Amino acid sequence: MSEHDDHLRPNLARRRRNARLFRHLCAGLTWLAVALLAVLLIHVTRQGFGWVDLQFLSSFPSRFAEQAGIKSALWGTIWLIALTALISIPAGVAAAIYLEEFAARSRINSFIEINIANLAGVPSIVYGILGLAIFVRWFALGRSVLAGSLTMSLLILPVIIMASREAIRAVPMSIRHAAFAIGATRWQTVRHHVLPSALPGVLTGVILAMSRAIGETAPLVMIGALTYVAFVPEGPLDAFTALPIQIFNWASRPQQEFHQLAAGGIIVLLVVLLAMNAAAILIRQRSQRKARW
Amino acid sequence: MVEVGLTIQPTDTGPAVAQGNRHILVTRDLSIFYGTVPAVQQVSLDIAEKSITAIIGPSGCGKSTLIRAFNRMNDFIPSARMEGQILFHGTDLYDDDVDPVEVRLRIGMVFQKPNPFPKSIYRNVAWGPAINGYKGDLHTLVEESLRRAALWDEVKDRLNESALDLSGGQQQRLCIARALAMQPEVILMDEPASALDPVSTAHIEDLLYELKKNYTIVIVTHNMQQAARVSDFTAFLDAGRLIEFGQTQQVFTRPKEKRTGDYVTGRFG
Amino acid sequence: MTTVAPTLTGKRRRRWSERGIRGVLFLFAVLSVLTTLGIIIVLARETVGFFREVSVFSFLFGTRWTPLLEPKSFGVLPLLNGTLMVVVGSALIAIPTGLASAVYLSEYASPRMRNISKPILEILAGIPTVVYGYFALTFITPVLKLVLPGTQVFNAASASIVVGIMILPMVASLCDDALRAVPGSLREGAYALGATSYETTTRVVVPGALSGVVAAFVLALSRALGETMAVTLAAGATPRLTLNPLESIQTMTAYIVQVSLGDTPRGTIEYQTIFTVGALLFSITLIANIVANRVMRHFREVYE
Repeated sequence: MSEHDDHLRPNLARRRRNARLFRHLCAGLTWLAVALLAVLLIHVTRQGFGWVDLQFLSSFPSRFAEQAGIKSALWGTIWLIALTALISIPAGVAAAIYLEEFAARSRINSFIEINIANLAGVPSIVYGILGLAIFVRWFALGRSVLAGSLTMSLLILPVIIMASREAIRAVPMSIRHAAFAIGATRWQTVRHHVLPSALPGVLTGVILAMSRAIGETAPLVMIGALTYVAFVPEGPLDAFTALPIQIFNWASRPQQEFHQLAAGGIIVLLVVLLAMNAAAILIRQRSQRKARW
Repeated sequence: MVEVGLTIQPTDTGPAVAQGNRHILVTRDLSIFYGTVPAVQQVSLDIAEKSITAIIGPSGCGKSTLIRAFNRMNDFIPSARMEGQILFHGTDLYDDDVDPVEVRLRIGMVFQKPNPFPKSIYRNVAWGPAINGYKGDLHTLVEESLRRAALWDEVKDRLNESALDLSGGQQQRLCIARALAMQPEVILMDEPASALDPVSTAHIEDLLYELKKNYTIVIVTHNMQQAARVSDFTAFLDAGRLIEFGQTQQVFTRPKEKRTGDYVTGRFG
Repeated sequence: MTTVAPTLTGKRRRRWSERGIRGVLFLFAVLSVLTTLGIIIVLARETVGFFREVSVFSFLFGTRWTPLLEPKSFGVLPLLNGTLMVVVGSALIAIPTGLASAVYLSEYASPRMRNISKPILEILAGIPTVVYGYFALTFITPVLKLVLPGTQVFNAASASIVVGIMILPMVASLCDDALRAVPGSLREGAYALGATSYETTTRVVVPGALSGVVAAFVLALSRALGETMAVTLAAGATPRLTLNPLESIQTMTAYIVQVSLGDTPRGTIEYQTIFTVGALLFSITLIANIVANRVMRHFREVYE
């Protein structure tokens, strides 16, 4: 018995020490990520804070940094997001409803599902190439907000579909059965019971998809969103620019002032994103409090 | 015929069912499979109009599967397969021409666990008729249905409150009112009181006596006393087969099959 | 005796409108298939045109990429090299850190810590890539220049670091899911034998979640492959075959952006390079995603 003890005891101390080191290492690396985020935000704020004022928000870009502003980019982004929402939300929710409520477990339908999962992993620049060839060239929409919105819609469609499907799936079967049992059709059940119950989840997914769309630059570059725009779009077929494009343009210039302008634009962009994500979280929390099955 | 000493006495009160009541719901050699596994085998049953028929049997004997076949709820289970016929007023319910939605308008169902919609009490009852284009006065229909379900007095002042705020027994009566609002001919009940406390159960049983005057009721129950108290006819199922079917009085006091006698006296199941 | 039954077959109108709605919804579901088809056709058309001028061999194995300057050369290896450098660099950062974070979140962190760290990781994941590009250019590169004096203004290392930070939340979140899916009974068995948390985690839990963890890595790397704005801003526009991360390089994605920003007339071979390089990029990420999804499906089956 004592032979065993002699072999065991040194190991235990060392092993415990290793375990503690490992634990600290893992925690440390996690907090490193948090620290990096803090560094990034602080850096951006320091660079750009002085530039963000009313004049910044209401001026067009200019060769002269002091006079430059993001008015055209801001309005371009608003147009872009509004049109993208109008196109992608019905399309995505409709596809999700079909896949969850109407589709039988057939080969075609599994194929569609796999396809959507793959599309979610395609680089955004490839969507840009697609948009260029189809919307800008073939549909002859030119470098318009509409072409940009259509391209963005295709990009975020898989995200909306997957989030909506989860929300629909979360609605309990018992509610559907109750509706069927009183002679409702599938669509009546979906329209009056499933969708309203799934709405918070769908809304959260939509907001997150939109916040992804706001920050995407590459597809817009491909379809030709202009980088020097001194006007605000007045119709879907007008040329446009967007916040991330403007930021990219300023950041690409060698001068220090333009880098700071870029930081200012980033601050505006991040504030918008923060607001959207906060809304999504609020919706999720409110619905969790209300939902009782 | 087997004479058995009973621990349960079927009640003699309640209106006797006229022997002449026609059979509106009939199964002929009905078999239902989940894939290759048989759940119901060669069941032939005649449900008499404006009566209460109880289906009893041990767990897993196929009673729920059987009753769900009557309103085509098994359609939602992909692996479910059927042989034989179910005739409603002479028409095969599973004919190609028959619309399952129509079937469920005429044959309603109340589930084991109350499942009101997460909407107001009023909306729960009014929704079904409303989407089917009910031309009459919805308010009257809602009140009438809630009265027939013995719930009106308890909710008349709070029709706009959420149905989920009601107690379990009240929710189940709401589900009954919801089914009644569709004015079906047949109401199927799959163990409607098993999730409820004894007081609510008693309420529902009292309800059934009244409902029987206007509706044909088929009730699945694992509670034999309930079946004995409430029903006019009883069908005893075991392992998917119909062992015995007849007037409740007879099935409980003078069962023709030994197995029936064993079950109703509690020797198994 | 009136029969009620005939009306069981009535209400055809309801049936038809239901079918119509189903059809419309189906079309929207099919849209995704059309998108994939669109991508394939669009890329293939111009790529085929490109390969009429340039041989596949000289494209895939050539070492000089100068499609916009004379003498023109269309060897894509420098671009592949640039992309791979960024991917490998970001993997070096994101994989250990992401896995360690996942381990911390699933095995060690208290619920309170989890509730703080998880949202922060989600925020990191939500920051637009152009912001990361800006950060790389204006903060990371100057720091690198201080520490390693040979660093150029545009360099692969800066982009790699930033892309690493960008995909870290993805690695952490997916690995966290994979680790949590390992049944508690496995852990308990190890603890009951006297193992420490370190031993249990590294020898029981992580191996038990291995396919999920590997799938997470592959997915994150595929995301790094497709990353555009950060590398365009920070890594440079110099296609070059080099292993030195402190030099300026160009990735496939950055090249596509460069050509698009310029005035490239349709039908020229320079225009076609957009699609050809795009096709190469698409193929690589598609294969990576298919592999990762298959590994993930296998991992899900094992526990169900």
